[in-house]
Amino acid sequence: MIRRQRWLGPVMFMPAILYIAALVGLPFVMAFFYSVGDVKVGSVGYHFVGLRNFISVLHNPTFQIAVRNSFIFTITSQILVLVGSTTLALALKEAFPGRRFLRFIILLPWVAPVSIGSIGWKWILDSLYSVISWVLVRMHLVKAFDTPVWLGEPKLAMMSVILVHTWHMLPFATVILLAGLTAIPKDIPEAASVDGAGFFRTLFQITIPMMLPIINVAVLFGMIFTFTDMTVIYILTRGGPYDTTQVIPSLAFFTGILGSDLAEGAAISIFLVPLLVVVAYMVLRSAHRAEVT
Amino acid sequence: MSKQSGGKISRRKFVKLTGGAVAAAGMTSAFLFPARAMAQQKTLKIVQWSHFVPGYDKWFDNVFTKEWGAKHNCNVIVDHIAIGEINARAAAEVSAGKGHDLFMFLAPPAAYEKQVIDHREIYEQVQSKHGKMNAVAERSTFNPTSRKFFAFSDSYVPDPGNYRKDLWSEVGFPNGPDTYHDLLVGGKKIKDKSGHPVGIGLSQELDTNMAVRAILWSFGGAEQDEHGKVVLNSKHTIEAVKYMRDLFKQAQTPEVFSWDPSSNNRGILSGKLSFVQNAISVTRSAEKDNPDMSKNIQLTPALKGPVRRIAAEHVMSCYVIWNFAENKEDAKLFLADLIDNFESAFKASEFYNFPSFPATVPDIQQLIANDPKAVPNDKYKVLGTVGNWVTNVGYPGYATAAIDEVFNTFVLPTMFAKAARDEMTPEAAVKAADTEVRRIFDKWK
Repeated sequence: MIRRQRWLGPVMFMPAILYIAALVGLPFVMAFFYSVGDVKVGSVGYHFVGLRNFISVLHNPTFQIAVRNSFIFTITSQILVLVGSTTLALALKEAFPGRRFLRFIILLPWVAPVSIGSIGWKWILDSLYSVISWVLVRMHLVKAFDTPVWLGEPKLAMMSVILVHTWHMLPFATVILLAGLTAIPKDIPEAASVDGAGFFRTLFQITIPMMLPIINVAVLFGMIFTFTDMTVIYILTRGGPYDTTQVIPSLAFFTGILGSDLAEGAAISIFLVPLLVVVAYMVLRSAHRAEVT
Repeated sequence: MSKQSGGKISRRKFVKLTGGAVAAAGMTSAFLFPARAMAQQKTLKIVQWSHFVPGYDKWFDNVFTKEWGAKHNCNVIVDHIAIGEINARAAAEVSAGKGHDLFMFLAPPAAYEKQVIDHREIYEQVQSKHGKMNAVAERSTFNPTSRKFFAFSDSYVPDPGNYRKDLWSEVGFPNGPDTYHDLLVGGKKIKDKSGHPVGIGLSQELDTNMAVRAILWSFGGAEQDEHGKVVLNSKHTIEAVKYMRDLFKQAQTPEVFSWDPSSNNRGILSGKLSFVQNAISVTRSAEKDNPDMSKNIQLTPALKGPVRRIAAEHVMSCYVIWNFAENKEDAKLFLADLIDNFESAFKASEFYNFPSFPATVPDIQQLIANDPKAVPNDKYKVLGTVGNWVTNVGYPGYATAAIDEVFNTFVLPTMFAKAARDEMTPEAAVKAADTEVRRIFDKWK
């Protein structure tokens, strides 16, 4: 029995290890290997070039824009996700008719493939067929020949990709926060209520502080997903107009796969690593704290 | 020593006997199990885009490859992928060292030169039969430094102007714009009068890439000279950028910054735009889905700029045979036979695919001058001069890997767009783009 227990654990654990090694570890090692080499899509050999690709990337003004945009995209969308998911979680915690159906509806954007959702949004924001613009025209809020170009104006384009990404990420954070919310013992807010605390006081001084570890986990996971995602941007704007929505992952794809320079594409993506390591460390620390408390 | 005696069997006899037995067994099994015999056929695997004209894929998949396969006892498998997947798929096949025998790109795949065979042999065979290929094919598939043909081009797609005859007639251009000056003057008049803008894209997509190159070259600018030296930062380029800025401000709307490759098609087909530069996908779609609009949309050759009349191919059909292809010989044969049958391909594509070997469609002028689907029937006649104004990406040099990266990272659309939006002066936008092009060229040296 003891002998069986000795090998059962590692065996059960092995698929996860293999999965991570094959789909995360190996590509990461290869990306690092490529980033210090001269690998193009059609290369037949490998030559070590040191930091040449990194230096070249730093001289690319689009990279500087992409770094700035990555932070804007990630931080803004995570703030919106945090506010939206907290609100939704608080609303969905209460029992009311149709709650299950509403939960199902809210979960849909996360369940549906992000590419499909983004294509839908591309049509919603299309310069010619935008349903939003159509409604605004019908409400006489904008002129028919002067509708907003949602994906063609730099600020509107950035706003659009942030909102679509927020739409996609919101359910994930809501589910996590809802789980955290239901774990708070009911007697604490009830006692606060008896003591005369109103809704906002209870929210900001009891509910949110008690949920903080789980909020941290949701935000940090969201940051990792957002920093590394390019689907929404690739489908909606392809980094345009004139690179104003370009982020690090999309630039890596354009340079590495479409531009055929795998080494520089890998170097661009490697710039994400220190950032993600910090975020991952914070995730693990938050998770540990949540476990301890 | 070699002589054997008695009941012993010599080595030679043993080989003969067993060889005969194996052959007989093979024939018997082929007779008894035809499906298994089919499996022993050679296989030729091809991957190419889902053609814009469905009729072309029907001809290619159901007629040409079937007949070719039967003739050469070869099972031809054709996989179709979307345009956007081509580069990623090619990279994956090269990385795996396994894939299709024939891989079709829609742009010169110079970056893959070391992963493909030299296609010279196929060109020589085809040229001995059909005469010389045109310049756009040669400059899109040949590396003058290594002297290697890194691809084989069967066809290219012209990129003419598509204009609304009714709108342009109202402002004094019944035959549409002939020059970029006409486009600016007429386009502005139309926009001022009826609100219909010109539709030259300024976005990070294929059609914009082609349209801005046509403007650049027509004004005398270029990314590189004929020897591959970067020459983007020139007064000609600045003039081209200034022109685009004027065109945007006077005759366009900001929606051009948000476009994908199908946006200008939708824009003119819906009746919104007065002019777009695109392949004949626009007019063919109109003939099929919007016959009234089809009468109004007519074609014009590449517009003339201050220096020349020129435009890039819209897409360049380039087949490659990987070094690791399993059936190279049939792949070569297939390409040569495709050229032998190119007139059928031209017709099946509804004049979309123009021949890289002009002699393969000797009656091309008559065919395009009399198309029963077109209104008027000679709508496509203007494409008869395409040989005089079409060129390759990278003009006046060759389509190199560096040019390909400049193309796919949208350096030129960004240059034009930033100046059009006054984010940068034309001089500063050109200088920034020149620096970026040099950086890319340096990487590929």
